[in-house]
Amino acid sequence: MEVKVLFFGVLAEVTATNCKHYRDVKSTGDLRLRIQDEFPEVSHYSFRISLNNVLIDNDLLLNDGDEVALMPPFAGG
Amino acid sequence: MLTNYLITGPVTTNIISLFLENMGKMKDSGGHSIFIGQVRADEINGKKVKAIEYTAYEGMVKIEADKIKEAILSEFGDTRSVDIVHSTGIVNAGEISLFVLVSSGHRHQAIEACSKAVELIKEKLPVWKKEIFDDNSHEWKQNIKV
Repeated sequence: MEVKVLFFGVLAEVTATNCKHYRDVKSTGDLRLRIQDEFPEVSHYSFRISLNNVLIDNDLLLNDGDEVALMPPFAGG
Repeated sequence: MLTNYLITGPVTTNIISLFLENMGKMKDSGGHSIFIGQVRADEINGKKVKAIEYTAYEGMVKIEADKIKEAILSEFGDTRSVDIVHSTGIVNAGEISLFVLVSSGHRHQAIEACSKAVELIKEKLPVWKKEIFDDNSHEWKQNIKV
């Protein structure tokens, strides 16, 4: 299975990417660890996670084709 | 008029004019309230903001902006319509990055609903801004309620 991960705001800058695909990640918690392992600087910033356009607070299982976004605090307007 | 709420670059006076022209077609409205958000040339540590670069999670902006409209129309029963236009990309200081137009039967609800819509936009829309200074350095900014 493969999931698409989007990086926004300062997280796109510190990872130098807007989008990456990850294979064989069981849950959003696993994904978070995988990303923080790959990009240690990410853990210096606060961010929330959305799964398929919905903000989530809990660790959720991932399915093939899911879209996850890492989002720093919003700053529109 | 815009189904995805986002435009690239500043919200121009031409775009705003289109909304103003459209207002006259809503003959059941007696009050329209408008909020215009402009990029401010803040001075931070001796450097002046010359522009803001906005990025947005487009798919989620559509979902969240739809929810904001529904919430406003549900809370303010006299309100007829809510329009939101937000910039992505570069917007220079003095240019407009957010336009909100709320039309209601009467003025009080138009004003209150517009104010509430702006607060929800700031809180709920997945948009980020990078302040670009006159020396081309930059800083990511968070919204602070003043």
